[in-house]
Amino acid sequence: MEVFLPIAEVSVNILVILSLSGIVGVLSGLFGVGGGFLMTPFLIFFGVPPTYAVANEANNILATSVSGSTTHYLKNTLDYKMGLMIVVGGSIGTLLGIWTFTYFKGIGKIDIVISLAYMYILAIIGTAMLIEGLGEIDKARKKIITKKKLHVHYWIHGLPLRMRFPKSKLYESAFTPIIIGLMVGFIAAIMGIGGAFILVPAMIYIIGMPTKLIPGTSLFVTIFVSVIVTFLHAFNYASIDLILVGMLVIGSIIGVQAGQKLGESIDSSSLKTLLAVLLLVVGIAIAYDSFFAEHTAEEVVKIDVNNLNPLSMFIKKLSAEMPILYGLFSIIFAVTLGVGAAFIRRFFSNLRKKYIKKAA
Amino acid sequence: MPEILKNLPSEIKKNKLKAGIFLGLSAYWGVILVGTIFSIH
Repeated sequence: MEVFLPIAEVSVNILVILSLSGIVGVLSGLFGVGGGFLMTPFLIFFGVPPTYAVANEANNILATSVSGSTTHYLKNTLDYKMGLMIVVGGSIGTLLGIWTFTYFKGIGKIDIVISLAYMYILAIIGTAMLIEGLGEIDKARKKIITKKKLHVHYWIHGLPLRMRFPKSKLYESAFTPIIIGLMVGFIAAIMGIGGAFILVPAMIYIIGMPTKLIPGTSLFVTIFVSVIVTFLHAFNYASIDLILVGMLVIGSIIGVQAGQKLGESIDSSSLKTLLAVLLLVVGIAIAYDSFFAEHTAEEVVKIDVNNLNPLSMFIKKLSAEMPILYGLFSIIFAVTLGVGAAFIRRFFSNLRKKYIKKAA
Repeated sequence: MPEILKNLPSEIKKNKLKAGIFLGLSAYWGVILVGTIFSIH
């Protein structure tokens, strides 16, 4: 069941994209990460050019982070002040990232830069997770219990401009969240990811935030970073394809909900090891594709706009003629789907509780 | 070859799984690093 993407100018199988985004969504729900670092390479494998894969995955992350953040807002597990400080750094980092992206695109090296960045990120995370997961399994077998330090002090804690964060019960330099946000924003702009896999450990081990506030605050930050990335990609490169975004959002939102449910009943150490192996396999596949596979010159397909269906024609024209409006529309589209999914989830959750009460 | 095996640390010999993972990861990183150097050149 092939669908033509009017902006990316490639055909993709709708069932493949839906199932892949669903599977990545399940993994996101299980491990509490955005999944962008897995979905973007998958899109590249299935023929979506890297420039388009990065931009559209950023728009998909916007929808999923709005959905998750709304759920945390309703549960009151969000530190806005800390989140906004990270957003300040994130905005600067995103602009620097887009500037770097533009530079490499200008010299014609952006595809190899994206592939290399993914390969290293997957290899680093995969190696770290594999060692941690195997260590946990080993400790569980030998029944060893280790006590972890609550808060370790680094040089970053000695920076000036200290302020209070009442919700997190912290008194810390404003530069700590700003520097972390800067790194996350930079990586998000180049790679089309939310950056939760950097942000979450940084919030736990460097900032020292309470665990219950971390997922909500991380998702809150991701909203702003992915809004900037989506808008700048739409405006600068007209690379947002709403048909692809729609497929990605539907698959990942359903997958995330399923993953969160599944995570309640599965041993995390073994799963972490399995995910690590998966990341390493994807990393080596990208390495093979980048270094050894023979790339045949792709045929340039001239598309006659009049042959497209009305929806594709409308999307293509809007993207080319009104990039600002199109960028804003992409953002509103993702936000609406995300908020809608969060409220649907709450509705079903309340319905379930009501029936359980009645049965009791 | 038996000489090399004899010189391997006894800890590695004891735990073949750990040694396998270590060697696998080393080979993995080797491929990535060598490939990057070649692709840059």
